[in-house]
Amino acid sequence: MGVLPNKMLHGTAQRLTETFAALLAALLVIVMLGGLAWTPPAQAEDELNCVLCHKFRGLSRIDENGRFRLFYINENLFMKGPHKRIMCMDCHRDIKKIPHDPAEKVDCTVECHLTEPSGKQNFTHAPVKEILDASVHSRYDKEGNLKDHQEDYPGCKDCHEQPLYRPLSFFKGKSAGISRRGLSRCKTCHQTGDFAEDFYNHVTSRLQKSRESREIVEVCAKCHADPAFQERHGLDDVVTSYKETFHGKAVTFGSDETADCLDCHVVYGESVHSIESHTEPTASTHKNNIAATCRNEECHVNAGEGIASYQVHTDYSNAEKYPMQYYMLKFFQGLMAAVLYFFVIIIFLELLRRLFPNFSFIKEKPTDATSVLQNSSAEKGV
Amino acid sequence: MIMSDRYPKINYRNGKRYFFRFSLMQRVQHVILFSCVITLGLTGFPQRYYNEPWAEPLFTFMGGIEIAPQIHRAAGLVLLCLFLFHTGYWMYLFYRNRLKPLIKEKNLRPSTFFKAFLSMEMMPNGKDGRDIVQMFKYLLYLSPNPPKYDRICWKEKFDYFAPYWGIPILGPAGLALWFRDEFTQVFPGWLLNALYIMHTDEALLAGLFLFFVHWYNVHYAPEKFPLGTVFLTGYLSEADMIHEHYAEYVETMTEHGLAHEIKPQGHH
Repeated sequence: MGVLPNKMLHGTAQRLTETFAALLAALLVIVMLGGLAWTPPAQAEDELNCVLCHKFRGLSRIDENGRFRLFYINENLFMKGPHKRIMCMDCHRDIKKIPHDPAEKVDCTVECHLTEPSGKQNFTHAPVKEILDASVHSRYDKEGNLKDHQEDYPGCKDCHEQPLYRPLSFFKGKSAGISRRGLSRCKTCHQTGDFAEDFYNHVTSRLQKSRESREIVEVCAKCHADPAFQERHGLDDVVTSYKETFHGKAVTFGSDETADCLDCHVVYGESVHSIESHTEPTASTHKNNIAATCRNEECHVNAGEGIASYQVHTDYSNAEKYPMQYYMLKFFQGLMAAVLYFFVIIIFLELLRRLFPNFSFIKEKPTDATSVLQNSSAEKGV
Repeated sequence: MIMSDRYPKINYRNGKRYFFRFSLMQRVQHVILFSCVITLGLTGFPQRYYNEPWAEPLFTFMGGIEIAPQIHRAAGLVLLCLFLFHTGYWMYLFYRNRLKPLIKEKNLRPSTFFKAFLSMEMMPNGKDGRDIVQMFKYLLYLSPNPPKYDRICWKEKFDYFAPYWGIPILGPAGLALWFRDEFTQVFPGWLLNALYIMHTDEALLAGLFLFFVHWYNVHYAPEKFPLGTVFLTGYLSEADMIHEHYAEYVETMTEHGLAHEIKPQGHH
């Protein structure tokens, strides 16, 4: 090709620019159309329009203690959570003006504006607190005094991680068991609003475990697996010893039909918040109640009283507490070492022997076939 | 040992001499044994080592928490049945080959019974002790003569008695853990703690022994690598026979009038 005249070159560049501009415009239109086509998520009871600010993913700050705090509310998650019909201010009561000051921690035991349908009273989580306060996880001892290291005792949010409190993390994709066919039976009569959906959701979500067993173990492990925590409270490493059991192994491999922490440590049929120390006569793990706990109707139904003496939280390295396990383990380790070292040494020597097959420090007459025959006839003669 | 015409002691294939070791019956029992053991290992060890990165993928491959334990139990049951069958099998052979002749001779007394019992080929005997001493002398370069093993050498007897002691430990312990509820109606629960250790640690010992020692003896050793075939064919080549069972080799050759063709034991 010859040298292009200036004008022509200019023309090409211009055409290119025009094409780019057109492409960009088209892209913009597509993006805008997409924006229009995107429907906003269902609205929470957000009368004060808190989400106006809290919808921004980057809404965060470093607090006085140097901790990173994220204030983003994912509305989609919120609308799937149990609090979707609660107004923000029902829980965040100290917020009186907008923009607001740093909010106080939420108190889960306040009464909210929902009416509890069975008793026509305002709804509150206060009964949970009463049960928790009577349990081993209470911050108060029996005399009503604060226990040592009270900050180690759990509040609601230490175990109940609503998706809202971890908005950027992935969590299990299970939702309550909505069955359109099941719901149709409600909707025939309960036609107004979302009542049937909400009620159905409310009931069905409580008919199944809200967490996988693996997750339950992780919730308890948040505190109980911490060596410093164990030392402060004089507790064993129960998480590790649990994971060593068949229960723990099955749960690790994804079983939801095996006992997790709650199945043994909560009296069958009671609230999970009522966990007691094994020293309390009413505890599920009290030595008089263990058999009943194991033999509850969902677990070891056919077991005998003997099951009570099975040691679940075995620490194999503790000779004083678990002497049988400790010394059995030592026996088998010794046996294993003896057998394997003996044979591995023979194999090693055998391989070494192949290097100099004819050498020997002690000169001996090589034996031959006739010696075999003599030996064997001598043996058979005996 | 089956002394049947179906299994000539020396067989010829492509002009090479092969020596009888295992009957079809024995080889089939061995296949069932190792299939069960491998299956039990693949479904069992991921549970023992639940924390290792390979455990969950392998366990999932073997069927996961719903299926793998069922496979484990089924394989265990088959292995227990094999154990019982094999016990009946050697008792039958013992009766046919050792007791029946004694009965015919009207010579069955406690002493002859006991002697016949000890003379079974799997029974450890004095020659095994002498062989082990000779083996160490040879391995430590203190003698130029390797031990001249008979039909079943001491290592093979150990291989045989390893499962024969292992299965009665592993099997009932496994059954107790399987039927734990019923077990606790009769026995205290802490016994399950003990049985669990027995089950899992004996299994590890068996697994490691089979993988490192047994497989070295039959597959990894330089002259066998990558696969010793006697477990399939039932016959051992002349070179392997000379290497591993020289005493039996010499006797068999002599019995068959081949004494002039006996090769020296030589060295590896």
